[in-house]
Amino acid sequence: MAFPQGKAVAAAWAAPVALLALWQVACLSGLFPPQVLVPPSVVAQALADMAASGELQRHVGDSLYRLLVGFAIGAGAGMVFGAALALSRLVEAVLSPLFLTLWQVPVIAFVPLMVMFLGIDEPFKIAVVAIAAFFPMALATFDGIRGVPRNWFDVAKVYRLSLLQLIRRILLPATVPAVLTGLRISLTRAWVVLVAAELLAADSGIGQMMEMGRQLFQIDVVLAGVVVSGLIGFLLDRGARWVESRATRWRTA
Amino acid sequence: MNPHPHAREDLAQAAASRGALTVSGLDKSFDIGGKPRKILDGINLNVRPGEFVSIVGASGCGKSTLLRLIAGLDTDYSGELRLDGDRIATTSLDRGIVFQDHRLFPWMTLEQNVELALLNTDTPKSRRAQIVADHIALVNLKGFEKAYPHQLSGGMAQRAAIARALVTEPKLLLLDEPLGALDALTRVHVQNELQRIWMAQRSTMVMVTHDVEEALYLGDRVIVMSPNPGRIRRIVEVDLPHPRDRRAPLLHRLKDEILAELTSGADAAESADNLVHLPSREAR
Repeated sequence: MAFPQGKAVAAAWAAPVALLALWQVACLSGLFPPQVLVPPSVVAQALADMAASGELQRHVGDSLYRLLVGFAIGAGAGMVFGAALALSRLVEAVLSPLFLTLWQVPVIAFVPLMVMFLGIDEPFKIAVVAIAAFFPMALATFDGIRGVPRNWFDVAKVYRLSLLQLIRRILLPATVPAVLTGLRISLTRAWVVLVAAELLAADSGIGQMMEMGRQLFQIDVVLAGVVVSGLIGFLLDRGARWVESRATRWRTA
Repeated sequence: MNPHPHAREDLAQAAASRGALTVSGLDKSFDIGGKPRKILDGINLNVRPGEFVSIVGASGCGKSTLLRLIAGLDTDYSGELRLDGDRIATTSLDRGIVFQDHRLFPWMTLEQNVELALLNTDTPKSRRAQIVADHIALVNLKGFEKAYPHQLSGGMAQRAAIARALVTEPKLLLLDEPLGALDALTRVHVQNELQRIWMAQRSTMVMVTHDVEEALYLGDRVIVMSPNPGRIRRIVEVDLPHPRDRRAPLLHRLKDEILAELTSGADAAESADNLVHLPSREAR
């Protein structure tokens, strides 16, 4: 933590560089057939070729579009549902057991059913993302609202805050940290689930690109997909963390 | 360090005519395990305008409950609670309260926290910034207006909470063990501050504490309460002008008396021998 900036950057690069080196060494050792373990240089070449032809951008663009739309729907609904669960004992009593049970089901397990109802076009993939984003968001919102200290309601009462003032000035800011953490977790979860769903059934997207590569035995394309989906997930997480720390600077400053 | 002259004048004039608290025949019960349990039993107390009254007692004697009732945070009681003749039925901006934990909102700066108290007052918007600044100066926190609560020390945060409670210029300020969470040195410092603030504001103050020395140092009168159920056991007049000297012999004599009183109850009989001797050792 108390690392100088330059050293921290160097440290962050150490492990990926070491992994690349190990990968290259393993390829050169001749222990694995080159069709199975493709060297990093070939993967880089495949990435460059796909980028040059615009194929990579098309797949990434399709995936990100699904992520964006599905996430907006799922996280929005999750927030509303989580708030309802936290604010109403009745809603909690009726819906929370079902909610907690469904939450334990891997989102991928819904895929066969959803393909039957929605086909494999955009609505299906957007729905998968929405479901993946919904649960962590609902849970984070619920915890955020329930976590508001009761003592703060006394303060609001002493200063005669109206319900609207209480919501705007106390409840909303108090739940912002939990909600932002929920947004980050559901965003990255949604990304992982989307790539997996595209692997199973899709006509485009980063997952489908990998699945096609597998079927054509182009392992360089499969690995390129691994690298790209990992990088995108990393950047999504980083971006969300940045927003989080900006919005809650009062916590640490 | 220059409190608003206008506010000061108002307060000085109003002090004589406002902030009279009357408690008569106050009973309060809680439901514990389905059975009603009496917490406060027949409390009678008159607090004069501008007076500083301390309440001490063992934990569980209902002193904090009494303060919550006066604040209007709990309205389920029988008996009479009146401020300047008006029955207390809910919270009011006439009655400020400082809690043991500062309860500042962490996402607001000190300034914003204090200003929140003015949200529903009829103070003109144009004057609010000045009034907030005056009260921050009053508690000696000038220069920390833009600080967030986590950047303040415990003592500073508690003083900020006092500024927030005073900014509405309440007739009555309630203090619920306001210094209980502070270390010994900071405590003495904030006690001095509190005395200075009270002398500057002259609003009526009622403070609950478990520290007998603190109660005597600040209070014009000290109410001694006994538990199970909470009753007023004794009222001690502290006939010393403010500002006081902590070393005043009267304070030490009264402290020994009150401690003996607190520890000589039927329920504390067997341990009284041990406890009564402690204060005299402390006093030396």
